[in-house]
Amino acid sequence: MTEVVSLEEVSETSVFGSKAVGLGQALRDGLPVPPGVALSGPIVEAVASGDEAAIEKVVEAVRPLGGPLAVRSSAVDEDGADASFAGQHLTLLNVPSAEELSSALREIWWSANSDSAITYRQRVGLFTRPSVAVVVQALLDPDTAGVMFTQNPVTGADERMIEASWGLGEAVVAGLVIPDSYRVDRAGQVLERRPGLKRIVIRSVAGGGTVEDEVPPELAERLCLDEGQLQELNDLASRCEQVYGAARDIEWAIADGTLYLLQCRAVTRVGP
Amino acid sequence: MAGAPVEALRCVPLFADLNESELAQIALLFKERRFARGETVVKEGSGGAAFFLIDSGEATVSVGGAERADLVPGDYFGEIALIDEGTRSATITATTELVCYGLTFWEFRPLVLENAVIGWKLLQSMAKKLRAAEENQAQP
Repeated sequence: MTEVVSLEEVSETSVFGSKAVGLGQALRDGLPVPPGVALSGPIVEAVASGDEAAIEKVVEAVRPLGGPLAVRSSAVDEDGADASFAGQHLTLLNVPSAEELSSALREIWWSANSDSAITYRQRVGLFTRPSVAVVVQALLDPDTAGVMFTQNPVTGADERMIEASWGLGEAVVAGLVIPDSYRVDRAGQVLERRPGLKRIVIRSVAGGGTVEDEVPPELAERLCLDEGQLQELNDLASRCEQVYGAARDIEWAIADGTLYLLQCRAVTRVGP
Repeated sequence: MAGAPVEALRCVPLFADLNESELAQIALLFKERRFARGETVVKEGSGGAAFFLIDSGEATVSVGGAERADLVPGDYFGEIALIDEGTRSATITATTELVCYGLTFWEFRPLVLENAVIGWKLLQSMAKKLRAAEENQAQP
């Protein structure tokens, strides 16, 4: 069985999880996904067990990505399991290099076997052996990042809902800031721009991990996306819908002037 | 090295009667897990997934917020939740940086089902705990 493949070659959800397969499909369709490597559930478990051959294999495959790295879990229990396990399985940002990967993979493996993950599994009737595949990507150092719904998930209106903040998107995902919010129609016309209150920025730090920094007061309430970037996001939403279908939940980042797609999931419920 | 050190497992009463090759086989099933000082290792009332053996560092055991015991290298915990798939009976908190070797439910159960000696030791350990609980209850 193939255990380590470059992201654009990933196709088996049962081995690499829905997140890895989704990103692989995005790369094959020309979407702007950062390069990466997918690790199967069994090899993640082997690395977590301290298997030297598995560690060597993974380090060799990941080394060309350089560093720092973003290491994200990709649940393989069932199709679409990623969404339901969001928040249970760990993502580690800013792992300095391939050499530090084995302890990161061990932490991620344990996150799927943690008491909180098991409690969750028991509650939703999924008390089965967890298998956690992993996506390793070069970590971006974004100026701005956030989330976007290609269709308004609250009202069902046919418009893009964008939330954005400074730095890594985890500040938005973890609810640490009130992000800027934007509504853009399919033709690209901006319907609403609402500045948030972005007092915290998450940035990667040299040597590994991330840090929460204070945002200078003059930036906290300043809109962090301009007209051109909103148009690019609207284009990205259209391309994602062409590839995956309507109503997508997208994580994105803008680094060095380039827009990247970090994740694209189906919205599970749309409309009032 | 993969797994837990065999010498550490030999000190666990549950595994005391196993021979070298059985111990080596079980040791391979363990995975290292590190906890930071102050981190909750297991929480009373939550679901349980793993049995842990402390390799280095210390932890405290509390039940209903009351401290009951300190744990040191060689101590182990978590076997009850692994057997009945029930909730954790105590909270364990790392008081120093803590390195444990963990064995999950998914490996523990087949191990007990396939190894009568371990099964028997486990029964004895449970009986001992039951007697201790009964004695505690009987006290005025």
